[in-house]
Amino acid sequence: MAGVSAKEIKNRIRSMESTKQITKAMEMVAASKLRRAQMQVTASRPYFEILYSAIQDIVRNNTENELPYLHSVRKGERRIAYIVIAGDRGLAGGYNSNILKKCYEEMKGTDAVVLPVGKKALDYFRARKAALFSESYPEAEDVSVGDCFSVAKALCKAFRAGEFDEIRIGYTRFVSVLSQVPETMKLLPLDVVADNEEGAADIMYEPESSEVFEKIIPEYLGGILYGALCECRAAEQAARRTAMDSATKNADEMIADLSLKFNQARQAAITQEITEIVAGS
Amino acid sequence: MTTFPLKIVTPDGLQFDGQAEELIVRTTSGDIGVMAGHINCVAPLGMGRATIVTEGKKLYAACIGGILSVVNGEVKLVPTTFEWADQIDKDRADRSEQKAKNALADKNLSRMELEMAEAKLKRALVRKSVADMMLNR
Repeated sequence: MAGVSAKEIKNRIRSMESTKQITKAMEMVAASKLRRAQMQVTASRPYFEILYSAIQDIVRNNTENELPYLHSVRKGERRIAYIVIAGDRGLAGGYNSNILKKCYEEMKGTDAVVLPVGKKALDYFRARKAALFSESYPEAEDVSVGDCFSVAKALCKAFRAGEFDEIRIGYTRFVSVLSQVPETMKLLPLDVVADNEEGAADIMYEPESSEVFEKIIPEYLGGILYGALCECRAAEQAARRTAMDSATKNADEMIADLSLKFNQARQAAITQEITEIVAGS
Repeated sequence: MTTFPLKIVTPDGLQFDGQAEELIVRTTSGDIGVMAGHINCVAPLGMGRATIVTEGKKLYAACIGGILSVVNGEVKLVPTTFEWADQIDKDRADRSEQKAKNALADKNLSRMELEMAEAKLKRALVRKSVADMMLNR
């Protein structure tokens, strides 16, 4: 074997094996976390969907045009607030970079404010000097339902005060264990759908329509935020599991390859020794 | 009795999905009762007891925050927290009541802390009263 000695190869095999152990362990941790996150996501999905459809129903059947949150109150240049949810840790394949890139590309050239959730999102936007709405959510894993509702309240307040005229959310949708899709979704202002006229049935608001909207929309935003967070958590674990699974497989392959090389090198050394003895006698 | 489709969901999952005869919930402007054929209606929920009549039985729950929406006969109740009376952890409610009361005894609370403690106390009291109803029946 030219160049590499048997000892060097042996060292590489050893280090590869310890790496494999780590990736294997991480895969198993991610798999068990994934199971929990998956349960949470399936539990929260009906909430997500029903909340969304309830608000859509209300907006579609609404005949009043002057309600809060239907239009932005801001005058002048368009400014968009992005809520971007990413993970706290790396080693999850393309999970973090996919969502961050997608959001960054979308907000490029526009006047955007970012509310990053998760350490990776915070670091990414800080490094790119984006305007940040709040830096108080560096740990995506620690964000609770209550936090979601208080963020929603703060965002709604800023929206009403005219700090921005659109709120969008960037999150990763958990489609299956093998597929996670980064997506952005518009949350506010609520779109008034065109078929306003025919399907319009009068809605009784209790108390006042504007008051109802003022109370309901922060709840809606909080609920959607929590749903998105659940999706993200499951997606992160699924991405990490897949990434670690393929890392373990790669390590296996490399170990097999190196073992072959090691055996060849050892055999070559033995052959050489025999040749030398035979030649010497 | 005529029934109407009712769905109750919280962030923790679907709590009820089926036909109901009557629903009474506490909204921010008082109790609202819904029966089949109710007109379209939207209301934010307050903190209080929710009563659901289904198959002739009355079910009680503590229902806090969220939205009630009746659109074209379909009733969707989307509360932040919703606990059936028999699933309420009364000890926890007792503890949080005590905690909130202790917090309220402090005179130098900021406005936000005060509001939070008051909300906590209210939630605890709602939970306790709903749990008690269950026992007294």
